Amino acid sequence: MEIETLLPALAFYLFAGVAVISALMVVIARNPVRSVLFLIMTFFSAAALFVMLGAEFLALLLIVVYVGAVAVLFLFVVMMLDVDFVELKQGFAEYLPLGALLSFVLAVELIILGATFRIPKEFVAQTPITADVSNIEAFGRVLYTDYAFFFEAAGLILLVAMIGAILLTLSTKKDVKRQKVCEQVSRTPKDGLKRVDVKPGEGI
Amino acid sequence: MSGLLLDYLPILIFTAIALVISFAFLAMPLIMAPAAPDDEKHSTYECGFPAFDDSRMKFDIRFYLVAILFIVFDLEVAFLFPWAVSLGEVGPYAFWAMMVFLGELIIGYIYAWKVGALEWD
Repeated sequence: MEIETLLPALAFYLFAGVAVISALMVVIARNPVRSVLFLIMTFFSAAALFVMLGAEFLALLLIVVYVGAVAVLFLFVVMMLDVDFVELKQGFAEYLPLGALLSFVLAVELIILGATFRIPKEFVAQTPITADVSNIEAFGRVLYTDYAFFFEAAGLILLVAMIGAILLTLSTKKDVKRQKVCEQVSRTPKDGLKRVDVKPGEGI
Repeated sequence: MSGLLLDYLPILIFTAIALVISFAFLAMPLIMAPAAPDDEKHSTYECGFPAFDDSRMKFDIRFYLVAILFIVFDLEVAFLFPWAVSLGEVGPYAFWAMMVFLGELIIGYIYAWKVGALEWD
């Protein structure tokens, strides 16, 4: 086989294999912090697969947003949970039959869905991507015009997430002295100085 | 091989070299370094002390808040990139769509600033 076809195929199988194995390790790793690190590895391999499809922007977005932000958040959550995992695993044998039954049903459903689902024809290659338009440009052409409503809705969802997180987690301590730059800078000698007429033989 | 993938070939080679070197430095001590462990060597060094309890402890919830705020603004910037690239073609409608989007998030930003979520006390 020629190198032009061999190298991309090799790279694809490498990254796909790493993605599948690390996704499996996310589930079976005993230490949850390791699970998150394997999740990051899965994201990286998925980004490499995106690059191989020509979706450069998506690939870099996956790294910036998922690896840079979401995985860090997961790490925080895992570390904040402070779960005793030895204790958590004690009921394992007890719940095994029910869990096995449920996962069997889920697996059957997924297999049936995967075997019968066909992508409708109108979704396939509706707008052929020409080689002279880069991935990011193709996004920009439709995202802010044809899909402007969804774009604004995404902004509202982000706003709600932000305000919700602040409301849920913010607790201001009353007795903490904060730096208030405006007040500190606008202070005059009048506010800070006081002349006291001290009589001899007495304190203030 | 298409031109796009050819552009990424140096990164692949770079990654491969980085993997080889890092694994080599992991593997070399296993093969070459002498290992004769005993109880004294594994114990805490004489000026240290044994751990009081588990090193796993609860984080301050503020780290979580900072991470959430970071995700929100990270996504905002991610939306800005395609906009900046294609603004010349899509015209004023897209410009104002982005301004509305930014306005939505600026409301959140002002709120976060006002209630002191950006401060660390």
